[in-house]
Amino acid sequence: MPGRLTPRRPGPQRRSGRLRATALGAALATVFVPALSACAGDAASAGGAATLKWTSTYFPAHWDPVVGGSGAQFRELSLVYASLTRTDATGKAVPDLAKSWEYNDKGDRITFHLRPGLKFSDGEPVNGAAVKAAVERAQKQKNSALFGDLTSIESVTAEGLDAIVHLNQVDYQIPQLLGQRVLQIASPKAAAAPEKLDQHPVGAGPFTVTQIVPGTKAVLRKNPDYWDAENIHIDNVELTSAPDAATVVSGLQTGVYNFADIDPSQADAAKKAGLDVFVQPGFNASNISLNVNKAPFDDDRVVDAVRHAVNRQEFVDKLTFGYGEATNQPFPKGYVAYDPQSEDAYPYDPAKSRKLLAEAGYRAGDIKLDLVIPQEDPQAEIVQSQLAKVGITVDIRIDKNWATPFFAKDLTFSLYSTTGRDSAVQTLTAHFGPDGPLNLSSPYEPEGFEAAVAKVRETPLDAPAYPEVLRAATRAGLQSRALVFTYSSPNLVAKSKSVSDLPKNPAHIDWTGVTIGGEGATP
Amino acid sequence: MVRRVLALTSGRVAVAVLTVVALLAVLGPLLAPQDPLATSDHPLAGVSGAHWLGTDYLGRDVLSRLLDGSRVSVLGALEVALTALVVGVVPGILSVYLGRAFEWITLRLADTLVALPFLLFAVAVIALLGNGLTQAMLVTGVLVSPLFYRVSRAATLAVARSQYVEAALISGASVGWVVRRHVWSKVLPPIAVAFAQTIGTGFVIVSSLTFLGIGVQPPEPTWGGLLASDLGYLAHRPWAPLTPALLIMVTVWAGNLLADAIRDVSGEAGRALLKGRGARTGRTEPTEPAPAGGA
Repeated sequence: MPGRLTPRRPGPQRRSGRLRATALGAALATVFVPALSACAGDAASAGGAATLKWTSTYFPAHWDPVVGGSGAQFRELSLVYASLTRTDATGKAVPDLAKSWEYNDKGDRITFHLRPGLKFSDGEPVNGAAVKAAVERAQKQKNSALFGDLTSIESVTAEGLDAIVHLNQVDYQIPQLLGQRVLQIASPKAAAAPEKLDQHPVGAGPFTVTQIVPGTKAVLRKNPDYWDAENIHIDNVELTSAPDAATVVSGLQTGVYNFADIDPSQADAAKKAGLDVFVQPGFNASNISLNVNKAPFDDDRVVDAVRHAVNRQEFVDKLTFGYGEATNQPFPKGYVAYDPQSEDAYPYDPAKSRKLLAEAGYRAGDIKLDLVIPQEDPQAEIVQSQLAKVGITVDIRIDKNWATPFFAKDLTFSLYSTTGRDSAVQTLTAHFGPDGPLNLSSPYEPEGFEAAVAKVRETPLDAPAYPEVLRAATRAGLQSRALVFTYSSPNLVAKSKSVSDLPKNPAHIDWTGVTIGGEGATP
Repeated sequence: MVRRVLALTSGRVAVAVLTVVALLAVLGPLLAPQDPLATSDHPLAGVSGAHWLGTDYLGRDVLSRLLDGSRVSVLGALEVALTALVVGVVPGILSVYLGRAFEWITLRLADTLVALPFLLFAVAVIALLGNGLTQAMLVTGVLVSPLFYRVSRAATLAVARSQYVEAALISGASVGWVVRRHVWSKVLPPIAVAFAQTIGTGFVIVSSLTFLGIGVQPPEPTWGGLLASDLGYLAHRPWAPLTPALLIMVTVWAGNLLADAIRDVSGEAGRALLKGRGARTGRTEPTEPAPAGGA
């Protein structure tokens, strides 16, 4: 399967049992901590060092990017690891470790030219051989969560600072693909012992790790050898695992943290506490996954009934407190791959839904479905409630081993949330392709999708026709009967005013130019 | 014994509270003013005429969910207590009569079960057998059963060594007859104490599991589950966790209060206490054989 896309569950119930158990403590903290806040200073500026104190719901369980995959934790891993390319505010690939790249005339070979003089934090050089090792490890390591993303790559050859990527098809998406989500590059020397790398990351990113307490805390300091070190103004990073939604705001108020991803339910409290609250752009999209190889979804009319039964705005209002966005696509509005023509396909129309079910021969209550999910998720309750209104009975079943039947395509009905990919084509094939890990109906694919995707791959990223070709592929993919997209969960962040604004990059959290307690901080 | 328990103020309060809780378990779903699963367009609404306890994060009526959720909580606690009673008491009594091998095996089993943390074990069982409260409560009941085993064994030992029981056995009475005729009535009071106490423990376990989202399939409401979800929205409804928390606390407290009341009226000390009260009120307690295992 290609990269694991970490399900992003909205609302407080997405917290694990462990986190819930701290909730009482949170309540007490809510009462007592503000009283103590007056005593707290801005530790971030203590000693003159700018320290980012980031608490995150997605504290990495694995620090080996090959194992961690392209789930939400890649954002934290990007503190340590750099990649060949990164994306700019429009989502377009721009240089990172590679200063430039070029395709051959045919489009089936790409050469990345690496910046000279770079080294990993263990002193190993950043060169073509390191890139080759990284790609091969992602393709071959037994526990790799990325091998499915690299199927276009036949081989890599190294020539000094050049990494030549040989493809098995024409594919102009490679610069997009080999960004933060899919190819964070680790030192080949450190990666020779993957188990050790998993707990002691060694990369060439903006920071180096000085201490890790597994599952709890990581301490990092600025990497002076990072290629863009002059634009990194943060000296130290203290990354911690967020204890509970209700404690985060108190922690921000008292200076325990100065940056945190927060649950939408806490946004008002954070604003009232005088914190900066903003939505960092992202590629998040949640969907209802249907298996059209199994009854009742083998009947197109039932699938259409589900499509018309979904009230997307209810997800946005109740789960994201209005900070998210209703979407019927795996891309946010305004992104190059978002297809405006498909925007109003299958609008919310419960009457039409009931009519379609009647045409298919189903009376109210005839269809009974198990909605299988890995953990408690308010999304499921909304789906249950909305389908009940059109006469479909849904039982929510929590299966801790959900991943096995889901990726084996054994389930009939489930939910999934993705953080997306830097490459729009990768997002499309993951959802709609015949072998896409998020296509619960494999090997089914919508008609014309394969040709549309091939056309995108064959279109250079800077070609004038590229946006329209890409949107056409999105349009073809959205004909899939296997997925009903519902809403985009917000990357909601609260930060101290001492931390300056972040670049609005939809693909990852970019610390370039961010200051703490200095110029650029919100007054 | 019921009359003696009700003679105490603490006994009356405990029985009254537990009766109300039991009625909620039976009639709660019928009393719910609205469909406890029906969502609305008014999430996290405050207290109003339509929603006496407001609405939750999906706009569901909290009062209806509390009433509907009482059944799961009560049945779970009863399941723990009854399982522990059956699994613990029978071998506890028989261990005195069925020879050294049976005694040794059951004692070692009881020692082993005591060593297992029942909350963690319940979580493990759910992970193994699927997300259902029934199996978790059955296993928890087995893990709590050493309490009943030890109480019933201790009480039986005290009776088994009495002269009138030995005389009955010498006269040819069977073990079964002795247990029914002499042992059971003496063992009953301490078991009743343990049972009432275990109901309280069972409530804590059910509430803990459901608080953690374990054992029930959403959107089925439970008191622990409501408490957990309310804690996530403290910024919007800071008072919301009070109701489920109070329900859990009061029910556990009533179980323990009942246990205390039963203990107080059992044995010689209890009889003396009630005789004193009877003398003050002009009533006298009817004469009954002194229970052996109480006080």
